[in-house]
Amino acid sequence: MSDDKILHVSRRGLLKAGAATTLALGTPAFFMKNAWAQDALGNFPVNGPKVMFGFNVPQTGAYADEGADELRAYKLAVKHLNSGGGMLETFKPSSLKGNGVLGKKVDFVVGDTQTNPDAARTSARRMIERDKVIMWGGGSSSSVAIAQQYLAQEVGVIFMCGLTHSNDTTGKDKRRYGFRHFFNAYMTGKALAPVLAKTYGKDRRAFHLTADYSWGHTQYESMKEFTEKQGWTTVGNIMTPLKATDFSQYLTAVINSDADVLVLNHYGKNMVNSLSQAVDFGMRDMIKNGKHMEIVVPLYSRLMAQGAGASKIDGVLGTSGWNWTLQDAGSKVFTKAFEAEYGFPPSQAAQTCYCQTLLYANACEVAGTFYPPEVIKALEGFEFEGMGLSGKTLYRAADHQCFKDILVVRGKGPDKKKGEYDLLEVVEEVPRDVVTYDPKIFGGELGPYKPA
Amino acid sequence: MMNKTYPSFWRANAPVAYFAVIVLTMPFWFPLIGGYPGLDTKILIWAIFAIGFDILLGYMGYLSFGHAAFFGISAYTTGLMLLHYSSEIVPAMLMSVVVTTVAALIIGMLTLRRSGIYFSILTLAFGEMFYSSAVSTLQSWTGGDNGLTGLPTPTLFGSVIKDTDVFYLTAFFAIVAYFTARRIASSPFGLMLRAIKSNQDRLEFTGINVQRYKISGFVVSAIFAAFAGSLMVIYEPYVATEFLHWSTSGKIVIMSVIGGVGTLFGPMIGAAFMLYFENVISVALHEQWLLVLGLIFMAIVIFLPGGFVDGARRVHRKIMGRSAPSGPPAEKGEA
Repeated sequence: MSDDKILHVSRRGLLKAGAATTLALGTPAFFMKNAWAQDALGNFPVNGPKVMFGFNVPQTGAYADEGADELRAYKLAVKHLNSGGGMLETFKPSSLKGNGVLGKKVDFVVGDTQTNPDAARTSARRMIERDKVIMWGGGSSSSVAIAQQYLAQEVGVIFMCGLTHSNDTTGKDKRRYGFRHFFNAYMTGKALAPVLAKTYGKDRRAFHLTADYSWGHTQYESMKEFTEKQGWTTVGNIMTPLKATDFSQYLTAVINSDADVLVLNHYGKNMVNSLSQAVDFGMRDMIKNGKHMEIVVPLYSRLMAQGAGASKIDGVLGTSGWNWTLQDAGSKVFTKAFEAEYGFPPSQAAQTCYCQTLLYANACEVAGTFYPPEVIKALEGFEFEGMGLSGKTLYRAADHQCFKDILVVRGKGPDKKKGEYDLLEVVEEVPRDVVTYDPKIFGGELGPYKPA
Repeated sequence: MMNKTYPSFWRANAPVAYFAVIVLTMPFWFPLIGGYPGLDTKILIWAIFAIGFDILLGYMGYLSFGHAAFFGISAYTTGLMLLHYSSEIVPAMLMSVVVTTVAALIIGMLTLRRSGIYFSILTLAFGEMFYSSAVSTLQSWTGGDNGLTGLPTPTLFGSVIKDTDVFYLTAFFAIVAYFTARRIASSPFGLMLRAIKSNQDRLEFTGINVQRYKISGFVVSAIFAAFAGSLMVIYEPYVATEFLHWSTSGKIVIMSVIGGVGTLFGPMIGAAFMLYFENVISVALHEQWLLVLGLIFMAIVIFLPGGFVDGARRVHRKIMGRSAPSGPPAEKGEA
């Protein structure tokens, strides 16, 4: 065996190959024009009569239902930006005229995140590089949102987060080019714990089941912190695999403990399954420590409530960012427009995506340009009202997190609900000041206005 | 036959030259068919991964269902090096290759004692083990489900490399990878790998240490994956947990099968097709794109077991008639 034949190259051949490679590699450099002219940043300046937005939503995978609803909201937002209507009538202070953005009609492209950070980034890149979007938004998972925020910062194109509830998004992973309108796990804990203590008493013993990924972890930490402040004891916590569909072994551990409250830090199909099984185990009829056992679902959504069914969520408490039954002017006009277009009411994911698009467009009008650093400055510290919920909302400059009232909601039983979509009733609208926190507690850096 | 004459360097490497021309002109023609900058880089990265995978599957005949482990380990190593050591890519890439080689040696020694389905399942188990440790046990290191974030923009000898620079860097590695893989395939070592594929027991009876060759083949394949994984993080300074997930292993298998196993060039075509489909054609098909991709995959497995390359050969033969030089017989989907 003479292994030296593996690379049988003559010296002359190698030199020739080397020279050819150098030449071939160098050639394209002659044809490249200076792609980054002065002041150009990301996809600025916007050329032509149209401005392009990108909507990157999960079209396949576990969150496809939420993605579809987000897309409906985005289409509605584009329609309203171009020809008026919807929340343009209630949103204040607004510079939107209903004739596009800065005189340009809004057009959009759609991508599929597959609820997968890598796929989301690839899809976002397509929209940025090929379709020249000036802003993109969407998504239904914190890891996807965080991955895209970093991309936004690299390329200098603003990303308006869709549904993402992890503390990290505007905490340790906050980025100058990422903005979140949705609330987070910390606010959930702070808003929900006092209501729980008031409803169920201050001497409760809680057992948590937590989805084993970063959102679940931040949710558990926040719930633990704030319920313990109310006098509750945390008996235990089990991290359940994200892909779990059978929760009976974990629920058995909860039943065998001396806990009298079960907290489900789950979302989506996880929550539908764990809640359904807990109810089927008869946990809501058990008496522990002389008290009725209770179940808490910190992050609620109407789509999840629908999945679990009205009889299972009857009386279960949780938080929500928005609900279509709200009676303020902004919510009413949005729900009306959405129902007129699609025949059913919007979800909270739809509302947050719709608002994000309008907020971005308005910031461009305020800044008078699409130049990203100016738009970012217009969004930072912007305070507005009339986009759902009665109070004012602040886009905090320090971490790009929106601060607004949080809804504590309770599931409606089959006998109480009116119609298919009436599943959650608002118990309390926790004021914005209560859930506001110091941005320093999570650390992180926003990064520069102009990417390196 | 040690003194047989070799064809000239240029003649032997003409395919590499064609490949180089196609790759280096990609930024000019790729946008014409709906591509965009960035996707071409990603296609080349996956092409490198696919060539390495083909050495294992196409030549040695071992179907690894855990190749994402090497891609992912390398990606995480590069990410951690960029984050904690320096934004220079040379030490990061070297470290990634070293770490991946060690991992491949260990996994190879444990899994290559079995073949066929047992080998596939064992590698799958190892792959999933790395995946679950990255998302749970090692969360504080890997960033868990969020992936490894906050990486600096990579630099090469002090200057920042991004976009076009990364494309030409990747193109360089892809051309070198193809050249090396062809060399390996035509070497005595490549012959050994093919002998292992056809009948390793017989080979063993001739007194050859088959296990050693198998481990070498496995490690070589993993090194290609290491370069791909490392380039992936240089291309986008972010490590997704997806890189370790079994779906990445599955994707590379599908790419190889679609393109044509055992042809080196085929898997690269498969990689290009998959990514082009996933990112360009999917837009027109909306949420049905996965279904269409599944149908195409099934159609290829059923009607064209040799993949695109086999299809091209058949067409070529049809056009040229029976008199066409048949060349080496196509290896039909033994995967």
